[in-house]
Amino acid sequence: MTVASDGGVPSGPAAGSSSGLVKRFGRALPALPGLAVLLFLFLVPMAIMFVFSFWRTNNDFVVVPEWNLGNYARFFVEGTYLRTFIKTLIMAGLVTVAALAIGLPFAYFLVRYTGKLTQRVILLAVIVPFWTSYLVRVYAWQAILGEHGALNQILQAIGVIKVPLDIFNYDDPGVFVVLTYIYFPFALLALYASLEKFDFTQLNAAQDLGARPDQAFRHILLPQIRAGIITACIFVFIPILGEFLTPTLVGGAQSSLIANLVLNFLRNDQFAEGAALAIIIAAFVTAIMIVFRKSFRVEDVVTSG
Amino acid sequence: MARGTSPLETMPVSRFARQTRWSLIVLTGAMLAFLYLPIAFLILFSFEDAATPGLPITGLTLHWYQVLASDSAIQSALLTSIEVAVVVTIIASIVGTMVAFPLVRRGVRAPGLLRLGFTLPIMIPGFLIGIGLLIFFRQGLHPLIDVQLGLYTVVAGHLVFTIPFVVLIVASRLQGFDRRLEWAAADLGAGPWRTLRHIVLPLIAPAILAGALLCVTLSIDEFVITFFLIGPQQTLPLYIYTQIKFGVTPEVNAIATVILLVSLLAVTLGSILLTSSRRLRRRRAE
Amino acid sequence: MADLNRHLGRREFLRLAGAVGATAGLGAFLAACGASGATATPPAASSAPVASGAAPSAAATPGPTGTFNWLTWGDHWYQAEMDKIAADIGIKANITSFSDDIDAYTKVQQVGGQIDLVSEDALWVPYFYQHQLIDAFDINSLKVASQLYSVAREFSIWTSPAGYLGYPNGWAPIQITYDPAHVTPGADSWQLLLDPKYKKRVVVEDQPVEVMAYMGKAAGVKDPYNMTDAEVAQAKALLVQLKPNILRLAPQATDTVAALKNGEAWIATINLGADTAVMDQGGPKLTTFTPKEGSIGWMDAEMLVHGGANNNLLMPFLEVHEQAEYVAANFMINRRPLFSEAAYKLLINQGQQELADHLLFNKPETVNTMTLKGPGTSTQAAIAAFNDVFGS
Repeated sequence: MTVASDGGVPSGPAAGSSSGLVKRFGRALPALPGLAVLLFLFLVPMAIMFVFSFWRTNNDFVVVPEWNLGNYARFFVEGTYLRTFIKTLIMAGLVTVAALAIGLPFAYFLVRYTGKLTQRVILLAVIVPFWTSYLVRVYAWQAILGEHGALNQILQAIGVIKVPLDIFNYDDPGVFVVLTYIYFPFALLALYASLEKFDFTQLNAAQDLGARPDQAFRHILLPQIRAGIITACIFVFIPILGEFLTPTLVGGAQSSLIANLVLNFLRNDQFAEGAALAIIIAAFVTAIMIVFRKSFRVEDVVTSG
Repeated sequence: MARGTSPLETMPVSRFARQTRWSLIVLTGAMLAFLYLPIAFLILFSFEDAATPGLPITGLTLHWYQVLASDSAIQSALLTSIEVAVVVTIIASIVGTMVAFPLVRRGVRAPGLLRLGFTLPIMIPGFLIGIGLLIFFRQGLHPLIDVQLGLYTVVAGHLVFTIPFVVLIVASRLQGFDRRLEWAAADLGAGPWRTLRHIVLPLIAPAILAGALLCVTLSIDEFVITFFLIGPQQTLPLYIYTQIKFGVTPEVNAIATVILLVSLLAVTLGSILLTSSRRLRRRRAE
Repeated sequence: MADLNRHLGRREFLRLAGAVGATAGLGAFLAACGASGATATPPAASSAPVASGAAPSAAATPGPTGTFNWLTWGDHWYQAEMDKIAADIGIKANITSFSDDIDAYTKVQQVGGQIDLVSEDALWVPYFYQHQLIDAFDINSLKVASQLYSVAREFSIWTSPAGYLGYPNGWAPIQITYDPAHVTPGADSWQLLLDPKYKKRVVVEDQPVEVMAYMGKAAGVKDPYNMTDAEVAQAKALLVQLKPNILRLAPQATDTVAALKNGEAWIATINLGADTAVMDQGGPKLTTFTPKEGSIGWMDAEMLVHGGANNNLLMPFLEVHEQAEYVAANFMINRRPLFSEAAYKLLINQGQQELADHLLFNKPETVNTMTLKGPGTSTQAAIAAFNDVFGS
């Protein structure tokens, strides 16, 4: 992330000249405010949290510099954290699969069967709910799920069921549904962006050459939209690792995700203990981002609308 | 969409095409209904008689909109949210765009690392950023300056995750940018500033606009980071969340409905204006 | 002064934005906002009397006017009251809400005198004082204090050599309410929450330290916020029994009310008075009791933040805000006992004695029998235990 001093590759007519440092510095200059923000408002605070995670919170809610590994040990020794983390990974995985399973045909439909204007309108319709409070939207789900929620009432009224279904009554299935609701639009936008760039005549060509539709799909389409699929996965999977509101609002006694446990410490001012758990999540997130850094395209998700 | 060809021409010839088409329509429709179900309830509850939003509906009323109209606390919270969002958007758009240039044009060494650096603030859970910044401002900086928590610190917190979005969006647009246009301008005698003003900026403007819109959306609804960094002020999401002893009333639904309608109106007007101005320009060009 | 500061803050803030955003249109818009903010600022710091016509009977002598910052719960005030006070004596409150005691503690610790008045519960009040976050004052120097029950002016935990630590507002024990249509009547103990008959029918609040304190009480622990390791283990054992009964951990009081109202929950821990809200809204008729093992409770006070920039406004404000008419009206909205005896008498005159008595408005001495909410030494152990039970 340092300012370039050489680089060797000429970029445009002005590059590669001998006036050296000044020019190169001049080229990097516009990045400085942004880099300063990244350094001082993100990396430094993260470093502070990292240090805190090796300290201890005393009975007066003050973090004191008593070095220890206990906050990390907690995660691995007390089974609840590891188990809840794995549960969170599973939940995130399921939601990701659901978002892809619906998002892919949805995006395919938009690109292949509808005109430009319809595409814009439908994409806009998917985005519009984002403009009102996240909190209020999730709150509205409480009235839909639940033993006497709208879902059960409607199903009972039309005679599909006699007794209210229990599965959406403050439990994991409800959390799954609401998480899918919240993160589906991200997946759709990422998939749409990559499908839109795909030249569908290739599929016809493949079929003309004797490929079955599923073969054409697997060997022609999939490789070309791989980056879009990965972006969609990341945009759904990773935020769920930090989700705490949805389990709180529509979940029950068994529905805590890892961020709920972390926040139980943090919102009671047990910063050192909470920091260690949060750092573990952050490290995991960072690792995923490093692995998939080549295929991950934030801009696709936010500009295709 | 495939360039130049109509969707029908490119459709694979298949016996199942009709069924496929219909099942896709059903799926899309069902998903849209799923996305709008909670919105419908949200709006319905804003007209609810009882003080606690929820089923069964005991009666319908406009009462909560009247309450909203005279509730200075919620209005000032909304105003604060808008102020923060506007300031965040302006700063993030400018700073983010400035970073995008060296990122794409080899102004920095290791652009890959820089990209990663700007991706992390988007993906790291907000509560970690919020608490980290709180401790940084109040304890880390304390020996140097006494930072007072307030709207400035909230703006700082929002910049952390909004600037990266602008950086990545504008960088992507710059990547696909034909640099020969710039060189042509230079050959024709335009200085760097004129080239920037007349060639580059107009071409990347849509990306900057998209980034700015996203900044507004994210900042105005941000809760966790704001919670830790705000002083004696209140933003709208904070107001909604902190009514714990008193409780959420349908007034909150009413304001959510109003915000939804206003932004819908704005976007409709915006796109109408955009299309008509484009049409006008095209006509003038002809 | 307050008003000026606040608006100056806002103006500078916007000016900064304008400077950075030389981007024409928005810059102009912001400048306009800044300008309008400035014109809306009343003459600050002036001791000039309020517009003479608006002078109320209560304030014969003109006092200071302006805006102060108040960090409080949403139920300590209501809009019509604040509008009236602003019109009558020219003092406005810039109100920020919070949800848990510890949120307000963290905030005041971080921002100090940026806040002038803060509300807190029970043992948090002396805790604030020990940490020099608030100033003690002579409560009897306020004329309106004579309207309080005398017991409320003499709580030992709120007394210091330098004076009283806060102006008493309201109180309530945590109670258990249940729907007798589904729950065998006659329960009188915390054990009701643990009865295996009521699987997924109990709602408690989503606050690990509080829920562990309830379990501590159920286990017979004396001081549930300062438990020994052995006591934490006892409480945790009960929490394990409680878990299958939990329908949900309610993040807000209204969530509890909603679940009781629509019949999803049959049993819940509530603040005194929440049951009347359920019944008022057409929910089932509930039975409510205070557990025989003793209950946890809160009593809250308005505290003067040490070094508050506008603390000259607080006494004149409290003098009006605590008047019986406002307190009684607040009771009718929020339904829990307050410490104003004059307000209780006023409610009797208004024909509300039954409700007031039902909600123990006439028995302020009850607070002396409750275990009071406060910061404790077993916070971390309680959270660890709670996470262990409620994690996967």
